[in-house]
Amino acid sequence: MAYAATRGGEEAIAQAERLYRDDLGPLTAGRIAEVRRALPYLVDRVMGEASLYEPDLAALALAQTGGELYEAVLLLRAYRTTQPRLWTAEPVTHRDILTVRRISAAFKDIPGGQILGPTLDYSHRLLKVGVLAGETDVPEPVTPGRTSAPATQPALADWQREQGLVAPERAAKVPLDDIPDVTRDGLLFPPPRAHRLQTLARGDTGGMLALGYANQRGYGPVHPAVNDLRLGEAEVRLRHPRGTVFSAGRVRVSETEMVSKDPRADTLKLGFCATFGWNEVKTIAGATLDLSMEEQSAFAAADEEFVLYHTEPTEASGFCIHFKMPHYVTFQSSLDALRGANADRDRRAARAKARPKADRMSGAEIEEALS
Amino acid sequence: MSGNDLGGSATGAAGPACPDAHTLGTLARAEPGALKRVAEALLEDLGDIEVLASRTGLAMLPREDSVTGTLFHLGEVLVAEAHIRLGDGVEGYGAVVGRDLERAMAMAVVDAALAAGRAPRSVHDFVAGEAARHAAEDTARLAKVEATRVEMEAF
Repeated sequence: MAYAATRGGEEAIAQAERLYRDDLGPLTAGRIAEVRRALPYLVDRVMGEASLYEPDLAALALAQTGGELYEAVLLLRAYRTTQPRLWTAEPVTHRDILTVRRISAAFKDIPGGQILGPTLDYSHRLLKVGVLAGETDVPEPVTPGRTSAPATQPALADWQREQGLVAPERAAKVPLDDIPDVTRDGLLFPPPRAHRLQTLARGDTGGMLALGYANQRGYGPVHPAVNDLRLGEAEVRLRHPRGTVFSAGRVRVSETEMVSKDPRADTLKLGFCATFGWNEVKTIAGATLDLSMEEQSAFAAADEEFVLYHTEPTEASGFCIHFKMPHYVTFQSSLDALRGANADRDRRAARAKARPKADRMSGAEIEEALS
Repeated sequence: MSGNDLGGSATGAAGPACPDAHTLGTLARAEPGALKRVAEALLEDLGDIEVLASRTGLAMLPREDSVTGTLFHLGEVLVAEAHIRLGDGVEGYGAVVGRDLERAMAMAVVDAALAAGRAPRSVHDFVAGEAARHAAEDTARLAKVEATRVEMEAF
């Protein structure tokens, strides 16, 4: 790939950015607050893909880019590089998440029960067009239960392990400072499982959905169902200089286990995906991909290198849109080849026209001509 | 846990006056405006305060994969941090999820006052009140969650 250094157009470039912002109007603290308040799931999606949890900054990134998601993710990832990493927090486990939604599609009666939580799963998808005519749509209040749900829920996988339905946990515990980190190590293949899960956690929702969906439709080796899906909040537990571990606050998280029959044993296999924010379609797709990538398969959508490389939002969008940038040398080379091929063809055609009998010579004539 | 490279000396084993994990968590979750007013009221009585750190930074949040037990990084959380030292050497520390440095500093001031045994009754009442409010908030929220419990029946 060849690139061309180009000159000129500084004024046009300045005006082009102004034109982009001209369409968006003034950026105010009020607008940022409204984005954060009104679009929490979009804020969550951007934080997950940026791998940076800070809702105000995510709302700012969305407002500043006019909702251009890849630009918003890029802004947040760029901001992240300006901040020092001061801590590795205490690990979050399945069992200590404040859980507001927890369902299983594979098992009806699960320890802790099925809790729908905040969802539109069973709602009619009808636009409230009356709002455009001036009506105010006020949500119906929730009628609380007579008791409170438990703050945390047991792990279904633990019960399944007790029943011998899934293989026992096998990962060796590692010191927190030794957890592989794709932001510092880079992604090499075959990657450690920690890299795979981190890459999925910061993956592009749309890309993971496309490849996960492809697997679910048969372009993959597994046919999974949701084993355990959760939305909740995790405590960010840091260490005080006196040594006390305490919660500095909570962050929203999603996680999904997908389950399928293990083709090599009379047990079940589980795939896992978790991410910042409430984004369950991403974790369902991600856990499907985790399951598929464990299998030997000819499907690209189940190949680990294919999946992880092509669902990285900043890398993928950056490469895609870089083709907008000047490629004059590359294209000139292609153009020269094209023109050369056309010229050769024209010359051949001209020669053929000048010797029309040549195409109709008999074998004897050709032999005579060659003797 | 790693990385708390603050450069401040720990005050040794936590004595009975030192805020425990629950108190520190309550301060971190306290209503920011109220916490700042409580800290403001303490400043005059605490005397000279040396600021060791007042900054934002990232906390990497590890996650345990529920399938294999593998630890991996979920992503980084922006955290505001403050670390102070009183004239008598007692240190105070605050860390809150987000970017609010004043809120982190207010937490550090209240922490220092509690650790030094120099917090008036009103501060203890504030912490107790906030803890009760947080518990009530969680209880009310989980009661709404309970309303969505469903018993699935297969035909």
